[in-house]
Amino acid sequence: MSQGRIVTGDELKADVTVECDVCVIGSGSGGAWTALELVKQGKSVVMLEEGGYHTRREFDMTEPRAFQNLYQELGNRATDDLALTILQGRSVGGGTTVNWCSTFRTPDRILALWKERHGVDTLSTAVLTPHWEHIEQRLHVAPWPLELINENNRVLWDGLGKLGYERGLIRRNVNNCLNLGYCGLGCPVDAKQSMLVTVLPDAVEKGLTLYSDCSARVLDWDGRTVRAVRADVLDGVTRKPTGVKVTVKPKVTVVSGGAINSPALLMRSELLSEGRVGQRTWFHPVLLMMAEFEHEVNAFRGAPQSVYSHHFIDRGPGKMGYFLEVPPVQPMLASIVATGSGPDTIELMTKFKHLNVMLAIHVDGLLPEETGGTVRLRSGGYSRHSITYDFTDAHWEAFRHSCKEMAKLQFAAGAKMVRSLHLDPVTMTSVGEVDKLDAAPFAPVQVKVATAHQMGGCRMGKDPSTSVVDPHLKYHGLDNLFVVDGSVLPTSLGVNPQETIFGIARWAAGHIGQAV
Amino acid sequence: MKMYLPPPGAKPTRRGVLKKGLLGGALLALGGGAFLFTRKSVEVDLPADGLLVLTPREFAIVSALAWRLVPKRDGFPSVDAVQVARGCDRILTMVDATAVDETKQLLLLLENALPNFLLGGRLSTFTKLSTDAQDAVLREWQTSRITLRRTGYTALRGLVMAAYFASDTTWPAIGYPGPLPGIHDPNAPVWKGGGAERPVGNGTFREELLAPPPAAVDGGTP
Repeated sequence: MSQGRIVTGDELKADVTVECDVCVIGSGSGGAWTALELVKQGKSVVMLEEGGYHTRREFDMTEPRAFQNLYQELGNRATDDLALTILQGRSVGGGTTVNWCSTFRTPDRILALWKERHGVDTLSTAVLTPHWEHIEQRLHVAPWPLELINENNRVLWDGLGKLGYERGLIRRNVNNCLNLGYCGLGCPVDAKQSMLVTVLPDAVEKGLTLYSDCSARVLDWDGRTVRAVRADVLDGVTRKPTGVKVTVKPKVTVVSGGAINSPALLMRSELLSEGRVGQRTWFHPVLLMMAEFEHEVNAFRGAPQSVYSHHFIDRGPGKMGYFLEVPPVQPMLASIVATGSGPDTIELMTKFKHLNVMLAIHVDGLLPEETGGTVRLRSGGYSRHSITYDFTDAHWEAFRHSCKEMAKLQFAAGAKMVRSLHLDPVTMTSVGEVDKLDAAPFAPVQVKVATAHQMGGCRMGKDPSTSVVDPHLKYHGLDNLFVVDGSVLPTSLGVNPQETIFGIARWAAGHIGQAV
Repeated sequence: MKMYLPPPGAKPTRRGVLKKGLLGGALLALGGGAFLFTRKSVEVDLPADGLLVLTPREFAIVSALAWRLVPKRDGFPSVDAVQVARGCDRILTMVDATAVDETKQLLLLLENALPNFLLGGRLSTFTKLSTDAQDAVLREWQTSRITLRRTGYTALRGLVMAAYFASDTTWPAIGYPGPLPGIHDPNAPVWKGGGAERPVGNGTFREELLAPPPAAVDGGTP
């Protein structure tokens, strides 16, 4: 097959209709691997991506440009009440263009649980391992060396060591990484092995046609068959429709828009699964703690995530587990994430170079009482949906626990001040004051909760009355529609999700090709 | 026909109904007070290149808010020097129409004298209050028992902080050196396929160098 092409929205001045074997909607971790494997099988594949085609030419390591070009809703996506801030990618490469390169295989216990509770008998460590091995080679996945970790990760590493907690070095998908620290703003040297610079161009070389700035709005279907995908071309700056339409008429459609946009597309298409579409969305809710150190931490420099701990991943029956990592700290996001009054934030920002931030990432979706998040269409909304999340008592118990543990780790590593991200922050100056958090309110919009991992909403399962797609990721009730992205995960993972989605996508492409 | 949800079969949670009721109710109760709302806002100079989303009144509210969230401080550029209120206006050109509507409602809610009167005993619009009283209003929003006010505080605070720290003129004050020079290449090639040769770089890979993959385990076919 001859080389394909990336067509950007500004090139599209008149309506386009294309026919193909497979239309893949979304160019992130799920869509990219699916598309590559399908073009390798000789299928004609058209990909639609609502985000723009932004490359290292534009990756100048500044936040305003990155948030405008590379994030959903400029980084402002959130639940309706802003109790949970949702950091999610939106450009060619999806989340992989802006993630922090942490690469973990799916834990055994999660795959076992999916089989036991959801009848997902297709996926196992044995099934996924050959895919992971291929992916890890292609994306240069390797542990980040201890001698290269930055000061921000060093705080976590040292704290974990002092308290005798389990700790490890994160495997990262980077090639010739310069240890700059700007993974979240788009890698300026293409060292990050994102889909943008690896799998997508590989697929274009083998025939993929990728339309960027094209928002799939509706799937036309009748009976058991999707007939067409209708998309709007978006303006590169305002992200509003230009009026030009792209229509794709595929034999098979693969929805890979991620855990929020995939359900929204299905709902716009009146594919509701009796209301299950957009339900049981999992977010790995993240609590953060800030600490000030005497020495400079410069958490904006160096590989952003290189140390992790699964010490609290399993806290026993009825309790929510969590894992620990750190984020990069850049001025704009830090000032927004920091809570408290304006002047208080400005005061904190004077300590910018001395700040460490720690993350506790909570494993949601494993407790029986959890219902998680719900995504619904919003009247008058185009790219903004109505999102809610049900926090249970187990969430708040775990959040308080993790905040206290993070404070202990920060003090163990030498922090002179630790501060919670309550709207009215709790400030501590010694480990003896950590119990102040017992009196702090842990409730919606009282303490900052964020997510960088979106999962669920189109969960896979054997039983059509409790799931959206079957264990082969085919939509229950339609013959030529698949969903391949984080939305199919029945629960959250307990690890950063990119490699799970890569592996599932590469596996699924095998039988999706057979469905053409 | 578009299906706006909840879809058939989905039971709305009690909490969801309550929240919707509370939100709607709060907006009606706090935002609908026409009498006190007709009180004037302070007038401020508009940006030379005009406003794209905000009205002059909304612009004045954002300006007042920005001055309280980022008050004058040695070493820091002023919110006027950074043109924070203009920045907020420009940010709003890029967001969903529903977010613009809600931001405008929030600004008017903040300005509205009625809730300031009912909840704080002040008989004046936000922009006409003394700076101390404005700080007190913001503190009430930040620590309110009404979720809507805390949500509103979070939203408006985030908008102002984003517009302020978006400017690299704030970097010296916080000691941020900015990105390392000499790394970003504004002339880097952009490859779009179509028969052109793909430039060799960190992302290219010769698949034939991959070790032969272990035999795949069949996951079964549908």
